Amino acid sequence: MVLNTSDPRPKIPRPAAPKSQRLPLAQRVAPYVFVAPFVITFSLFGAWPLVKSLVLAFYITNGPKSQVFVGWANFRYLLADPDFHKAVWNTAVFAFWSVFLQLPLALGLAILLSRPWLRGREAFRLIFFSPNLLGQVFVGVLFSVLYIPQYGLLNRALHALTSLPVIRTFGQIPLDTKWLSNPALVMPAIVLTSLWMYVGFNMIYFLAALQAVDRDLYEAAIVDGAGPWHQFLAVTLPSIKPVAIFVLVTATIGSFQLFELPYLLLNNTAGPNNAGLTVVMYLYDRGFQIGDLGYASAVGWTLAAAVLLISLAQMKITGAFRGTGE
Amino acid sequence: MKQDWRTAVVRGVIYLLLGLGAAITLTPAVWLVAATTKRPDDLFHYMFFAPRLSLSNFRDLFHTVPFHRYMINSIFVASTTAIVQLFLSSLAGFALAKYEFRGKRPLMVTMLATMMIPGQVVMAPLYELLYRLHFVDTYQGLIIPGAVSVFGIFLFRQSILQIPDELLHAARIDGCSEFRIYWNIIMPVSKPMIGAFCLVSFMGSWNSFLWPQIMLHHSERFTLPIALNQLVGIYQQQYGMLMAGTLLSVLPVVVLFVLLQREFVAGLTAGAVKG
Amino acid sequence: MRSFPFGNAALSLLILSILTGTWLATHAPPRRTATLVFWTFASQHYNAYLKAIPAFEAQHPGVTVQLQLVSNTALASRLQAAMLADVDVPDMVEIEISSAGTFFRGPLKDVGFLDLTERIHKSGLWDGMVRARFAPYTSRGHIFGLPHDVHPVQLAYRRDIFQKEGVDVSKIRTWDDFIRVGRKLTIPNKRYMIELSDSDPSNLEMCLFQRDGGYFDPQGNCIFDNETAVQTMLWYVPLVAGPGKIGNNLGGGQILTKAVEDGYLLCLICPDWRSKSIETDIPRMAGKMALMPLPAVTPGGRRTSTWGGTMLGITKKCRHPDLAWALALYLYLDKPQLAQRFRDTNILPALRSAWDQPSFREPRSYWSGQPLGLLYARLAPHVPFQYTSPFIATAKAKLGEALVACVQYYKEHGSAGFEPFVRAKLKQKADDVRRLIARNPY
Repeated sequence: MVLNTSDPRPKIPRPAAPKSQRLPLAQRVAPYVFVAPFVITFSLFGAWPLVKSLVLAFYITNGPKSQVFVGWANFRYLLADPDFHKAVWNTAVFAFWSVFLQLPLALGLAILLSRPWLRGREAFRLIFFSPNLLGQVFVGVLFSVLYIPQYGLLNRALHALTSLPVIRTFGQIPLDTKWLSNPALVMPAIVLTSLWMYVGFNMIYFLAALQAVDRDLYEAAIVDGAGPWHQFLAVTLPSIKPVAIFVLVTATIGSFQLFELPYLLLNNTAGPNNAGLTVVMYLYDRGFQIGDLGYASAVGWTLAAAVLLISLAQMKITGAFRGTGE
Repeated sequence: MKQDWRTAVVRGVIYLLLGLGAAITLTPAVWLVAATTKRPDDLFHYMFFAPRLSLSNFRDLFHTVPFHRYMINSIFVASTTAIVQLFLSSLAGFALAKYEFRGKRPLMVTMLATMMIPGQVVMAPLYELLYRLHFVDTYQGLIIPGAVSVFGIFLFRQSILQIPDELLHAARIDGCSEFRIYWNIIMPVSKPMIGAFCLVSFMGSWNSFLWPQIMLHHSERFTLPIALNQLVGIYQQQYGMLMAGTLLSVLPVVVLFVLLQREFVAGLTAGAVKG
Repeated sequence: MRSFPFGNAALSLLILSILTGTWLATHAPPRRTATLVFWTFASQHYNAYLKAIPAFEAQHPGVTVQLQLVSNTALASRLQAAMLADVDVPDMVEIEISSAGTFFRGPLKDVGFLDLTERIHKSGLWDGMVRARFAPYTSRGHIFGLPHDVHPVQLAYRRDIFQKEGVDVSKIRTWDDFIRVGRKLTIPNKRYMIELSDSDPSNLEMCLFQRDGGYFDPQGNCIFDNETAVQTMLWYVPLVAGPGKIGNNLGGGQILTKAVEDGYLLCLICPDWRSKSIETDIPRMAGKMALMPLPAVTPGGRRTSTWGGTMLGITKKCRHPDLAWALALYLYLDKPQLAQRFRDTNILPALRSAWDQPSFREPRSYWSGQPLGLLYARLAPHVPFQYTSPFIATAKAKLGEALVACVQYYKEHGSAGFEPFVRAKLKQKADDVRRLIARNPY
């Protein structure tokens, strides 16, 4: 997942140095030298391919040897392709749950961990964060085995749990529940796995934000007679708003790029009935597997446009651009 | 008295919840370790550990494929990427933090934009470009396109902004070159951020899958994610062996994290929280 | 002694980088100077060829052959990538039947493989091999791959359990007989008559082939929504879903081992290659398993089908095509090797005359003394045709989607309105493929 630590506030320009205090040559040249590696690598490996792929999007290719110009045909096919619709739907569903399940859980855990009297905080933090270290590929391989019906760990655990006396009345989960070969359960399986991986990760951000909240604000609220819930709404939430926005935007951008986890979970396939097909998987499959780089570029640009639009919309809606001074 | 009793219950519940969460989080990892120690026949006969332990899975793993080579490949690519990114990104971050120059604003906007654009857009033509440079199926092809990390640039900018300008002024008066300022003053002070970034960069490269999958053709250069995926494809049902490979693949990053835990948390959140 | 300005973390990474870099530089793999590079995806083939290649190299002094094992899914994409980038294209590749067609996508002149049609006719293989096996590797009348196998299908069953239950296998001649017995023997959640999947189309497709259906016709038109396909789907789904279900599928490897040992699955669909996997993965069932031909659809009908397949292609990048052809013939058809190869893999070669060898008639103790080779050889000539297209992979995926949708419908609504649903769903998925075909400018 790409992390974004942008500073959304507009930069206040420093007043220009008066002529008599002109900087020495070395100081004027140094910044250009220092950012040169970025400029070079970006131009070569970023800007140029970006432009090229925009051009390619209007072709159907069979490798570098043959290209056929097709105008908007790629985009027209793309928008009409039921598989692409499925991919978009899956990705959107995943993004939705990522935000509305993961973030509250992460915040909740962070709140629990931020109790000043808590012992073993660092140990808990390490434990909750550790799944994130594994990386989507290895987690995908591991969980593909955990989700095996009948004999896998998850089914055994769930079955045992729902066989307990009281819980049993709510219904037992059958041992042979098929997670990865049942189209209805594939996305839940993916969401579950990503919860395991990323709740701890987002929790770290929330925890740091919570620990940075000014204690005086809480004191003031308590003096005003606010109970814990009101304290949360009036003090906690506004104080962690910048971090929350940051986490929201990055989680969304990240979930749009979901690929490795379902790809490895479903053993290099899109799952039954394309239940695990995401937009990037669609791009990889229709581009690199089939060999139509033009189509891959068209898909890529569509994805990029969507991500940009949605991120900007999110930031606008949550007021990231309005500055964090309350 | 009543207050104490209630507080104790609340605290107890919180510890319980946390404990439950920790247990759920750790169970797959425990299962993983246990699975690697079980004989293939016993794998699904016992939930976690079996009465007889065996290292046969590891033996099979190294016997079937040159796994040590894949590990070394991953270590090489990840550590080199981290070092290169560290150097180039911190340099640029320093420039953005402590200098004013023409084009700074557009540059920062461009950097921001690159973080929003998913990398998959450029995969196809980038591959073609790297082919022309003869970088396909090489280590350079993996390291160089990602040599500068925009995330790192912003991270270091944020942390270097905190460094008082007086330090730089004093150094310049002493006759330090700009680069010496970077090397001898800025960097030593930023060690926590360096630690954090090294971990993030190492991890990102270590777990990277899509790009190496496209770039690498010869199995000698495979990094662990690609190698493991290939292993799953061929030996998909030798779960014990696959779990052994998975365990070995995640261990290095876990170790690195345990060592750099504090820096990681401090560095990462400094950017987001203060930003 | 100044400490490293970047701190210990960076220092240790730097040291790691240098150490591993040095190790890699000094342990660089020897430069590739092999005369022929051969990729395969099946570990059984790989092991068998490893044994056979030294003899070939001895016969052709100065020639070296390098064998590489690549996973099936990776092979297709890697080969595609290699061909597209003109980088490191191997000389010879074994490709699986379900992806072979995708390499025939562009204009004929750009297909990355050599046209083997003439060689095949001249060497007499056109008559000597099972004719049906050329179809999956043929595009626009040109044969691009040498068939490796026939893969006739039988059913592997727990002979001991059948015996205990008093089932007489010789009386099971048609699928109706089989289903009747199946409904008697199946105990939901405890025992299922046969391993059939309700999401993976491989089993369904095998049934489709048995009825002379398929994905494409010889001209490359999509036909998996024709009447045969509809009837097959209508017949198949109630076997894997709903109250009369007799088929279930859990997975492979150790899962399957446990399932068979526990008697959870009584019959397995068993093409020749799978019989060897069963022998290796479920050793404790030795002597308790046996094989029987596939039940026929109608009395007197075809008692087999086919599942899987491999072709050998020689790429256009190969600088020694005649040598490659010689190696191909050697690996696939050299009689003395084939005997041992058969014992190692149980795979029947596509060349009919090869089946006369004594090793093919040996009784196998694992299979209760049955002469495995003979049983498969008897069925091999009846294996149905399969036609391919550049969109074969998509077609398979679409059939899978249709299967899943039909299973879902049947679970919810039973047979009410099932037939129109199947018809419409198959047509919808076939139309998706037709649209993809129409988009193809080549």
